[in-house]
Amino acid sequence: MIAGAAAIAGIGATEFSKDSGRSELRLAVEAVRAALDDAGLQPSDVDGLVTFTMDDNAETAVAREIGAGELTFLSRIGYGGGAACAVVQQAVLAVATGVARTVVCYRALNERSGRRFGQATMAPGLDASWHYPMGLATPAAMVAMVARRYMHDYGATTEDFGRVTVAARRYAATNPAAWFFGRPITLDDHQASRWIAEPLRLLDCCQESDGAVAVVVTSASRARDLRRPPVVIAAAAQGSGPDQFTMTSYYRDDMGALPEMGVVGRQLWSQSGLTPGDVRAAVLYDHFTPYVLLQLEELGFCGRGEAGHLIASDRLPINPNGGQLGEAYIHGMNGIAEAVRQIRGTAANQIAGDGPVLVTAGTGVPTSGLILSAA
Amino acid sequence: MAESIEEAAHRIAAAGPSPARVARDPVNMPAIRDWLAAIGDTNPVYERKGLAPPAMIQVWTMPGLLGFRDPADPLGAMSAVLDEAGFTSVVATDCAQTYHRYLREGETVAVTGRLTDVIGPKRTALGEGWFFTTESTWVVGDEPVAGMRFRILKFRPGTARPAGPVSPPIRPVIGQDSAFFWDGVSAGELRIQRCGDCGALRHPPGPACPRCGALKPEYAVASGSGRIHSYVVHHHPPLPGRRSPVVVALVDLDEGVRMVGEVLGVRPDEVRIGDEVRALFADGLPVWRPAGQVVLPPFSLEVTPTVVVSTALATRDFQDVHHDRDAAVRRGSKDIFLNILTTTGLVQRYVTDWAGPGAVLSGIAIRLGAPCYPYDTLTFTGTASGGAVTVSGRTAGGEHVSGTVRVAS
Repeated sequence: MIAGAAAIAGIGATEFSKDSGRSELRLAVEAVRAALDDAGLQPSDVDGLVTFTMDDNAETAVAREIGAGELTFLSRIGYGGGAACAVVQQAVLAVATGVARTVVCYRALNERSGRRFGQATMAPGLDASWHYPMGLATPAAMVAMVARRYMHDYGATTEDFGRVTVAARRYAATNPAAWFFGRPITLDDHQASRWIAEPLRLLDCCQESDGAVAVVVTSASRARDLRRPPVVIAAAAQGSGPDQFTMTSYYRDDMGALPEMGVVGRQLWSQSGLTPGDVRAAVLYDHFTPYVLLQLEELGFCGRGEAGHLIASDRLPINPNGGQLGEAYIHGMNGIAEAVRQIRGTAANQIAGDGPVLVTAGTGVPTSGLILSAA
Repeated sequence: MAESIEEAAHRIAAAGPSPARVARDPVNMPAIRDWLAAIGDTNPVYERKGLAPPAMIQVWTMPGLLGFRDPADPLGAMSAVLDEAGFTSVVATDCAQTYHRYLREGETVAVTGRLTDVIGPKRTALGEGWFFTTESTWVVGDEPVAGMRFRILKFRPGTARPAGPVSPPIRPVIGQDSAFFWDGVSAGELRIQRCGDCGALRHPPGPACPRCGALKPEYAVASGSGRIHSYVVHHHPPLPGRRSPVVVALVDLDEGVRMVGEVLGVRPDEVRIGDEVRALFADGLPVWRPAGQVVLPPFSLEVTPTVVVSTALATRDFQDVHHDRDAAVRRGSKDIFLNILTTTGLVQRYVTDWAGPGAVLSGIAIRLGAPCYPYDTLTFTGTASGGAVTVSGRTAGGEHVSGTVRVAS
């Protein structure tokens, strides 16, 4: 059983910037140490480390730098930002089976000052050869293809996408940790921003960031004895859809959709026994705005084609940290940290209530999700 | 403190349209003949009917060799501001002309202009500079006969970015399971994987049939017809080996599979989901064109120094960079180069050579890229769809010009 087996006992992060001036390994070390401090644990307590396959910091290197001793669990998840919640699921599986006792999940990247993901450079593998040489060579363009079809099928507009950014920037404006702190935008600003890959504008794309985030996972019972109130992992799921590609799942009958997130959603609701109506806030992976709409539909917050109305109604608080559009792009890991703060009641933009918070990971790829709740 | 470039731009733009400046000479056949000869345009209609080629519109109001800058002319005024600030070199980047009618021999035109926008400073491949756009209207008496949006880059000589390696286009990685497809592209066939057991068609291909499990991949040759299922218009960041915007579509092939490919010969704002497209091959890739589009025969021009100089003079453009090699080099160019009035004229000639002497053009909009130097071979290609002809002119140095010509009749 996953539900309730484990808890997040600590979170840590570096500052979010455009040029950290430090190595990615150092960022990883700073975030991991901060998360351990937050939990009231020592590096010597760590026996498991999990990260993304895209992370350039080996578990061994992080373990050496923080001064951890023996490790019994080392794991990595692929598919870019789709790994964000899946690394926590790995930790839950390790803790629940007794393979490890204290697992730290981390992601550290100099995405703005180092290798920028938005540039048109060929991805490895044969699949990329059906898209990159043809001029479909950036994540924004790959999402735009789905977004255009979604607009065609459901009458969604660029304003529907823009309202996602406006909401994110409104939250970021009052989150001191956000890059766009104090800098809200209007829908007109969104509409005036330049095309990146039509139908996506600059302000449909998340920012590029340097930074690191780490979370400490341990058993729910042990977490109760640690420094912070435990944030229980009520559900943790990973999902891949039929005929799945990485960012280019264009060959399914219905390509204006994210069925892999449906796979994640069904598991989250079934593991936790919750429904979308129980969720206090959703932290949805927002590398590109259209996929926030599609996620709401796949997760059952509304019907197909209705997410634009849901966003406009402002009924469901989404990304109260400002998301990756407003706070920082730490490959989804900062969203998990925000969900933890919401459960603890320590968020910059605290959402009222004591209900659970849902978090998702990168979309358009095999993805993952979590539901976090108070003990 | 002196007026900033932004303040000057605001002042000049706020002044609105300049007073009409009258052409030095009426529309006359000697100038038309020289222009036709320099451009190589043998269309007899101009001489027979006493008409001026539409792409000559700007020629009539050029200031001439001894011309001075009219202080009221916004193009001249903005240029002077930028000269003063050290941005002394100039290239035209965009020109969109609209022709309400052709001018007749003996008519005298006048032009008014206004400054519409100024953007900068920008880092460009040529150097640090400012872009500005003017709008001109030509009138005969009170009758507007033509209009133009003209965009210029004024840059600081000697500030060009060191030419980085030109990134080659992204090439496909070819593996054992996909080689048949790329062999097909080489052979001019669009191949779709077909299961050797159950006959299921599939793209992208793989070693196993997802329907029946057979490891017996074969292929069928597609008809090359399809419809656009979805599409994107890529603007940014730059794609290696391509010039933005790039239209990339997901095409529903008639055979029932989907395939991604660039759509050529369309304006980004013309593409629609559901549009019929036809496959062809370019640069080792399958690409798509709107069904029913006509491909113009290519035309190659050997650009001699005489071509550059004679066209510059025939367009009454006496800027030294178009006839004086030493001056051009001093200004940061490797040699003299074609002026934009000539490029516009060559585009006009290419389209009317194809469309026939009876064709009447209602507009030419071009964007300039790589300069065209003496000893370049400038090759024009084009496609026609409805009343629009999309034209590209390339040299070994890259795309010199791209644009659209509107044919009214």
